[in-house]
Amino acid sequence: MALSTEELKAAMIAKATKAPKPQLYIKDFYECDPDAKPRNVKNVANDLVKEGKLMFWSSGSTTMYALPSRIKNEETRDKAEEDK
Amino acid sequence: MPKHDTPLLDELEKGPWPSFVTDLKRQAATKPECWDILGQVELSYKDRITHWKHGGIVGVFGYGGGIVGRYSDVPKQFPGVAHFHTVRVNQPSGLYYSTENLRAICNLWQKYGSGMTNMHGSTGDMVLLGTTTPNLEPLFYDLTHELKQDLGGSGSNLRTPSCCLGKSRCEWSCFDTQALCHFLTNKYQDELHRPAFPYKFKFKMSGCPNDCVAALARSDFAVIGNWKDDIRIDQAAVKGYIKGEFPSNGGAHAGRDWGKFDIQKEVIDLCPTGCMWMEGDTLKIDNKECTRCMHCINVMPRALRPGKEQGATICVGAKAPILDGAQFATMIFPFVNVDAESEYEEVVEKIEKIWDWWMEVGKNRERVGETIQRVGLPTFLKVMEVEPIPQHVREPRSNPYVFWQSEEVEGGFERDIREFRKRHAQ
Ligand code: HEM
Ligand code: HEM
Ligand code: SF4
Ligand code: SF4
Repeated sequence: MALSTEELKAAMIAKATKAPKPQLYIKDFYECDPDAKPRNVKNVANDLVKEGKLMFWSSGSTTMYALPSRIKNEETRDKAEEDK
Repeated sequence: MPKHDTPLLDELEKGPWPSFVTDLKRQAATKPECWDILGQVELSYKDRITHWKHGGIVGVFGYGGGIVGRYSDVPKQFPGVAHFHTVRVNQPSGLYYSTENLRAICNLWQKYGSGMTNMHGSTGDMVLLGTTTPNLEPLFYDLTHELKQDLGGSGSNLRTPSCCLGKSRCEWSCFDTQALCHFLTNKYQDELHRPAFPYKFKFKMSGCPNDCVAALARSDFAVIGNWKDDIRIDQAAVKGYIKGEFPSNGGAHAGRDWGKFDIQKEVIDLCPTGCMWMEGDTLKIDNKECTRCMHCINVMPRALRPGKEQGATICVGAKAPILDGAQFATMIFPFVNVDAESEYEEVVEKIEKIWDWWMEVGKNRERVGETIQRVGLPTFLKVMEVEPIPQHVREPRSNPYVFWQSEEVEGGFERDIREFRKRHAQ
């Protein structure tokens, strides 16, 4: 039985909170619900971004997902370095 | 007045061709950050390493692609390029622009960016090089509201589809490449603007096997125009070429005297499958052996044309070297109908079948061509429900084993183990 959208969202946030690295590949979320179709997991991940609960992180060629609180962007990092 | 000395880059202005160094210096008159590009590139030439970093979080609201974050790793030395993001703008199908539109793009980029552009990137996008994070939203607003244009794809998104100019100018086009490109761009807006896959995915469309957009080498899903029936021959025009009435290759090689046109040497002997011959003064083609290389048609365009029953061949899995070496796409679907009336049903069905499989089976950062390589072509053909044909075979087999599927064996692999032991008891 596939999870409901709300259950899947909660499982994905839990995964993004606990994962050792802040950035996750879309495939890392598949295991939150092995019964869900990959395209559905993708849609839910993008919905979470729209809601501001996840954010995109791009290497330039690959896009990953991260919990906003676990990641600093380049500009805040640069500033942090300057302030050091 | 140059801000940095660039002796190495200056060498690149000395040739007879246009130089991006000259362009950058000219542009620096209105956009001083261009001096810092020159300075940083000069440093890279000296250090033999790039000083651009990329990655991070940069984009416009609601989109997960189209902007590629670029940062200098020596921002104190070159503050003008501390943030220097790249913007990809979805190009029009077939790359047709009005001069008015080109001016508007240039003005937009002069206002919000460095003014430097790259027409076109390998995805086909107009690439606008160099802006800062705060400029992104206003740029995006003007681009979409005033110019009515959109960003292209980047990251793990569907990349901006691209096509040859097809039927708009080319008689060889076997389907309307621009129409299909436009249709797929609209149909897959979500995949284009937000990450959708384990890695990037590209569509490219060429109207005939000349493949002017190099779809075969550059796209995961290459739709290449083809025909099912026979090459159309105008025998009178064939005679005309033999007599020298028409220049071969449409006169493309007229810069040098190659001597009298010799159909045997220049066409028949060069046919890769040896399927052409003359019977008296009539040209014959054994069409079932024709591999659609386009050579004979390219040499004698007045005499030979693609057949009338037109559609496309779909090749899957080209890629540049990333994890593994570069590879061309592999022919998977020999012939599909490319039919606007059915909303390109056959093409769409193949795309979605590949996506569903690759999203499940593909590893992170694995292009579909690498997934196919990993599981083997026979497995992929089975998933795609394609019957293997000789054209799927690249070389004689090197694997001595034959694996049978249970359904191919009478009675399957089930057996009565007790019955078996009874017979084989000692
Ligand atoms: C005013 C400047 C330029 C003009 C008007 C121009 C025009 C053209 C034209 C008409 C073609 C043939 C396109 C085709 O066959 O469909 C071409 C091809 C090409 N140009 Fe330029 N070009 C210019 C500058 C440059 C510069 C600065 C470079 C490189 C630094 C360059 C690199 C190339 C290459 C590599 C091709 C071949 C592409 C291919 O065959 O795939 N061009 N150019
Ligand atoms: C000596 C200097 C440079 C050389 C020889 C060079 C060469 C190239 C080439 C050959 C490509 C592939 C183009 C294509 O496939 O159509 C490319 C792509 C690209 N270059 Fe450069 N480049 C130079 C400097 C720069 C600079 C200074 C920037 C940014 C500040 C830049 C940003 C890019 C980007 C973003 C792409 C990807 C475009 C796309 O894939 O759509 N390049 N470059
Ligand atoms: S790929 Fe074929 S149809 Fe398209 S422009 Fe080139 S020659 Fe013409
Ligand atoms: S298209 Fe190529 S393979 Fe086909 S008949 Fe002409 S030369 Fe031969």
